This record gives sequence, structure tokens and C-alpha cells, in this order.
Amino acid sequence: VTYKWLSFTLGVHVNQAKQMLYDYVERKRKENSGAQLHVTYLVAGNLLQNGHVCHKVAVVREDKLEAMKSKLSTIASVHVYSIQKALLKDSSPLYNTDYDIVKTNLQHCSKFSAIRCAAAVPRTPPDAPRAPASAQSPQRQRDPDAAGAVNGHGPPAAKAPPPQHKGIMGMFAAKAAAKHQDAHKEAKAEAKEAPGVSAASSKPPTKNNIMNNFFGKAAMNKLKVSSVPEQPKEEKEVVKPSVAVAEPESSPNTVAEKPGKKTESARIQQKDKKSKTKRADRSDDEEERDPENVKRKRKRIKQLQSDSSDEEDVPRSPTPEEERAPSPPPVPALKTELEPASTEGSAGGRKRKRKRVLKSKMFIDEEEGCMGKTG
Amino acid sequence: MFSEQAAPTAQGLLAPPSAEPPTFPRVPVSGYSDCSQPFQLGERSFSRQYAHIYAVRLAGMRPGLERRARSRWGSDIALRKLSELQAGEKCCVVGTLFKAMQLQPSILQEISEEHNLVPQPPLPKYIQPSDELILEDELQRIKLEGAIDVQRLVTGTILAVYGAEQDDGRFLVEDHCFADLPPPLPWNGPSSDRFVLLASGLGLGSVSGEALLSTQLLVDVVTGQLGAEGEQSCAAHITRVILAGNLLSQNTQSRDTINKAKYLTKKTQAASVEAVKMLDEILLQLCISVPVDVMPGEFDPTNYTLPQQPLHRCMLPLASAYATLRLVTNPYQANLDGVRFLGTSGQNISDIFKYSSMDDYLEILEWTLLAGHISPTAPDTLGCYPFYKSDPFILTECPHVYFCGNAPHFQSKLLQGKEGQRVLLVTVPDFSATQTACLVNLRDLTCQPITFSGFGADSED
Repeated sequence: VTYKWLSFTLGVHVNQAKQMLYDYVERKRKENSGAQLHVTYLVAGNLLQNGHVCHKVAVVREDKLEAMKSKLSTIASVHVYSIQKALLKDSSPLYNTDYDIVKTNLQHCSKFSAIRCAAAVPRTPPDAPRAPASAQSPQRQRDPDAAGAVNGHGPPAAKAPPPQHKGIMGMFAAKAAAKHQDAHKEAKAEAKEAPGVSAASSKPPTKNNIMNNFFGKAAMNKLKVSSVPEQPKEEKEVVKPSVAVAEPESSPNTVAEKPGKKTESARIQQKDKKSKTKRADRSDDEEERDPENVKRKRKRIKQLQSDSSDEEDVPRSPTPEEERAPSPPPVPALKTELEPASTEGSAGGRKRKRKRVLKSKMFIDEEEGCMGKTG
Repeated sequence: MFSEQAAPTAQGLLAPPSAEPPTFPRVPVSGYSDCSQPFQLGERSFSRQYAHIYAVRLAGMRPGLERRARSRWGSDIALRKLSELQAGEKCCVVGTLFKAMQLQPSILQEISEEHNLVPQPPLPKYIQPSDELILEDELQRIKLEGAIDVQRLVTGTILAVYGAEQDDGRFLVEDHCFADLPPPLPWNGPSSDRFVLLASGLGLGSVSGEALLSTQLLVDVVTGQLGAEGEQSCAAHITRVILAGNLLSQNTQSRDTINKAKYLTKKTQAASVEAVKMLDEILLQLCISVPVDVMPGEFDPTNYTLPQQPLHRCMLPLASAYATLRLVTNPYQANLDGVRFLGTSGQNISDIFKYSSMDDYLEILEWTLLAGHISPTAPDTLGCYPFYKSDPFILTECPHVYFCGNAPHFQSKLLQGKEGQRVLLVTVPDFSATQTACLVNLRDLTCQPITFSGFGADSED
């Protein structure tokens, strides 16, 4: 049993695993239960060798531990490497154990390590869905330059979700506030990948303020249905909404593909977790939609006008996308890209479109991943 | 360097489990730029002769050498071409060196079957007392003798000699000089401790597995899994890992399968396939945690001639999914956090070692820096691409860290130049043999070796 094996099997930080091993050894020895435990230690420190100071890292058996420690001029660290019942002749079983356990966990081998690298994010594949690989990125912090490409895709996708999130918050405020808060805290505390509604819902609060400028209340209640699938997608991209607006747009094609892919992958991944919340979503949605419809209609027109005026001022693709976002429901950004021109058109058409799309959105969710038609 | 900071919490992990242990964020890479464009070949055409590379080399280094000659021997000395030489006149000539060696393996000897000669076995050194030095420039050549160390110099070096032509047609050398250190680069180093790990010669795919545990320990230290908290936080300061060549071992090079009949070898794979898979896994573990630059080496699956092109991404499917993996050329030049790194996987140094009396890798490394050329023996004894426009191996700027991989031992030296250059010379040892890698501290240009070891049946560490 090596510390790495323990760490992966129990899902704990490597340092904790080392401490656990030590604790175990101490307790067993105190109990004196008769079973002989052989312990190997890792010793690291400075050693004077060939005239220069050399840093040595060695795995040693317990009986050689003191000898090694005395050889080192300064000791940098000592901890338990492994425990076994039999006396080891050489270190190859240790290596084999470690090798096996790392092999089975190759993608997250850094999950329990003490160092996190912000720059190590999987490259976005140019085509072909490598959704599982990209979705499994263990790192949550992103380095600006590494995530530069991601950021470019982030904004358009982010703009679609925010209105929906506001919908969630609006709808669930009373019921699920507590649940979200807990989940939110959980997500923060873990600092590991925590896919699911909980993590995503921690984002809406931040989005709300910024998106308020662009979308009125009307936009809020629209797409809760698709909000759920959007959450995981959005959660995967560390979105900075304020940056989103200012972000230079990336080419529509790539953007279209990627968020679409992420949505799919996210959806596929989050299927189970989503199902319950989705059902809740939908039922709520249907109840509330009719009374809201009338209100929405009115607000929609007003907003369209304001949006179009905004559009003229800042003729950039991000803004058309933003506007599109409220109207075509969650349409995975794929749709938003495909119709930059169409949605900027008639206000009336939008209303109609929206209602239509809303209904069809339901199908999308049910069918899990089949792309909708209109919009 | 680790130890001082880490010592206080050294024994920290010999305790019952504590609260949530800290995780350290890796120090982010602030300034990285790859400067090895000259070494990247686009379309390659081998239809040119190699004479052009010498011509270009001479033309490129002549101005610098002439300047050096004037500053050394007076600004009024006569700089002559070989064709303008007059007997007895003291002058200075700039040219390419050629060393005529008897033992030098020659392709012509191998082909001469009618003499029934056995092909020469590879020797560690090919020097002999009877070697001669000849100076060539664009048009002529002349034999050199005098105050010049025949054994030490190798073919392809550009140098300036000062002396006079004798009556018998030889040039009597009184003094000679090389291009010396190139002009210094401004120093923009980081203000806090940043480390770069240099390792080479991982030697995967070899039959013996002793080095595997050490390799795993290396990966663990760098990714922060090994060591107490102090050491882990120090390891978080490692900003980059550079693997300088020979990732696969020499054993993977066996080409017996070519000689065997096809039906015998149908199911067998080249040994390098397994080795590359192992490499991929190791690189994946590293890439998840730290930016890695991978240079190809002598035994790696890339082209043989210098400059070696980067390994292809498709060989490392798992690791190349991460943006932190960079596959780079050999030789490799880059700016890391304002510090210029230049290094090779060791083929140039070991080639000079074979043809020169210099025995110490560090000495050879320093000498190439002083000679102003990374690999003078290419293309004579070392494979090289037939450059014709410019010679990318000429050192035009002085790097801050100059390393070579696959050396027999670790050595390092800080060289101070006359114009204020500071160069850290590092010979990175072969990891599969010595289980040692190097940690370079970018802040003060110091280097520390780091050794890993497991325990064997009879070792008495």
C-alpha cells in the first residue's frame, strides 16, 4: 500500500494519505498486535556529493532511514511512502503499485496532488467530439492565455445561459434558495470538478447584475427548460460576463461548433442529475408560462426596440448574439451563430418565434441532444 | 535550494491526519516565447551540396572574427585571404578548419570491398597524433602548424590565425582566436525563485527497469505528490520541465526485424512503440501539472540530421491533449521568464568529444560557446541539413543558460564574459544511468542536481 494508491482509492489529498499511513503505523505498533509491518519512507534532503550540494530524494526502508537521515546535511522532507506486510527486497513492487493505480486514473492523476496548475487545460479539439476528454478537465482555474481560446467561445455561450439562469433564480428563489446556497458552498469548498446544477447555479448571481442591463425581466422567465442543459455547458466555461461583452469575437464557425459540442457533452454527462431538476423545471415552467406570456409579449417589444438601438451603436457580433439569446431560447449557440441576421429582424416575428421555440425546446430536452429546428 | 525552505516542515507528515491539507498553485509562466524558429525546417530538400553550409558559415562569422582579430592583435594588422598570401608576411587569416584524421570513418572505405576491409568499429575517440590541421577559406586551403593545438580542435570551426606563410607552403601560426562569446542579451530575470527542471536521457523502453522508479519519483516531485508540505510548495515554483532528448533508450533502436523474414516478424512491434506509450503516460502526468518542453534526441523517433524536428503530436495522444505540452526542436532556444535558454540533446557535444582531445563535457560546452557555433562538426561527422541561406547554429546572441543533454555526469559552471555576459553552462546527465536531473534557479542562475533512488536488494543507502 503506497500513499499514492491510498490517495486514489480513498479520494484524499496525498498529504492526508501519507498522514493516514503514519497514523496507522503508529497505532498498530502501539497495539502491538503482532503483525509485523514493514514501512518504507521517503527522505529528501541535501547531500554533499562530488563537491556540490545535491538534492537527493530516496525511498528507503525503515531500517535504513536513520542512516540516510544522518547522511543528509539538511532534511527537506520525510514521510511514509508505503506499508506492507512482507519485507521488500527491492522497490519494484512499489513502482508497480503506483504504476497501476496511476494508469487507471490517468486523466485525473493530478487531482489529489498538492500542486494545481492553472495552465494545464486540455486543448480544445478542432473537430470530432472528444467530449469526454474535454469535459473531464480536472482543473477549475484557468490561466488567461491557455483559456484564451476558451474565452472566445465562452462569451457567446455565456450570453445564452444568463437569461435562463435568471429564470432559474426567479422561479426557484423561494423553494430552492437553501439548496442552491448549500450547493454553492460545496462547490467552492471542493475546488475540484463538481459538475452539476449546484455549481452552475452559483454562477447566476454573478451574471444577474450584468445581464440586467441588456435584458429586462421579460427575458428572465423564458428558458428554464433549457436552462438546465445550459448550466453544465456554461459551468464548463469560466465565464467572466463583464469580459464577455468586451471580448473580441472569435470566428462564428468555431464558436458555433464548440459550444454546441460542449452542450452536448455537458448534457450527456449531466443527464442523471438534470433529470430531476428538469422535471421540476418543466412543471414550473408550464404553470407559470401562460400568465407570464402576456406580460412577456409587452415587454418583449419594448426591449426589442432598445436592443436594436443598442445594436446600432455597437455593431459587433457579440451584441447580436446577446440579443438573440433572449429570443431563441437556449438554442445552443449553434443556432445563434446560424442566424445572426434573421433575429435582428422583426420584433413580431421574434415573439412568435420565441413561443414556438419554447415549445420545441421541450422536445429538445426530452430527446436529449437532438438539435431543434426553428429559431 | 529546496531544502532550506522545506526543512521546517520536514517532519510534518509524520503525524495523524490533519485538516484539509493545502494545495499550492503552480507558479504561472509569465514570459515564455519560443525562439527556435531558425531550427524549424519547413520543406526540406536535400538536393543541395553541403559546401554551401560552410560558405555561409564562413561568411556569417567572418565579420565578427575580423573584429576580434583586430582588437586582439592590433587594428593595423593585415587581414588577408589565402589567395593573397605572400611568403613571410605576418598577417591574419580567417577561415574554416579542417582536421585530416586517419581514423575518421569514411564512407569510401566501407564501400571498398575489393580490399576486403572490415568496416571500422566505432571508437570512443578518433584522434591520433598524426592528425593535421588545414585552414580553408572560400578558395584555397593551407596546412597549419605552430602554436595551435591540433588535437583539441575539430573540423568546421571558424577561427582567425595570426602568423606567416612559410616557404614550404605551410602557415606558421603564432596565435589564433575564436569568435568568443557573442554579444550579451539583456537580463530580465525574475525576482523570485523560479525553477526549471532539466532532465534528459529518460531512456524508456530499456530492458532494465531500475530507472523506472526514479522516473516515477521525478514525476511525483514535480507534480507535488511527493515530499512534505515544504517541499511541495517549493516544487510549485518549478515553472517548466525541459526534457532534453533520448526519451527512448538505445534498446528501442534495434532493427533486427529488418533482417528477419517477414513471416517471423509479422506480429512483433517495434520496441519503440511500447516505449512511446510509456512516454505518453509519463508526459500526461507531467503535463497535467507543469508545462513541459520535449526535445528529441539521438534515439527518438524523429529525423536523424540536425536540427531535429519536434516529435509528432500524434505519437503522444494522451499528453498532447494538454496545452502545456510543447514539442520542440533540437537544438532548442526559448525565452523563459526573461531568461534565454539554449540547448541541445547532446549529439553535438558527444561528436566533438569523439574528434577532439577534450574529455570534459563541460569544457567542450564552454568551447563551443567560445567558438561561437553550436555544432562545428556538422555536417562533417554529424548529420545536418544542407543549409544554404544561413547557418542557424551560429551563436548570434549569448544565452543565459546553455545546456546539453545526455552527458555522463552533471556539471555546471557560471561563465562570465568580458562584455558582461553571464552564462550558466549545464551538462544534464543521462537520467537512466545516473537518476539525476537538474534544477536551474532562474533568479540567480544557479543549478542544483536532484537525484532519485529507490532501494535494491543489496544497496546500502
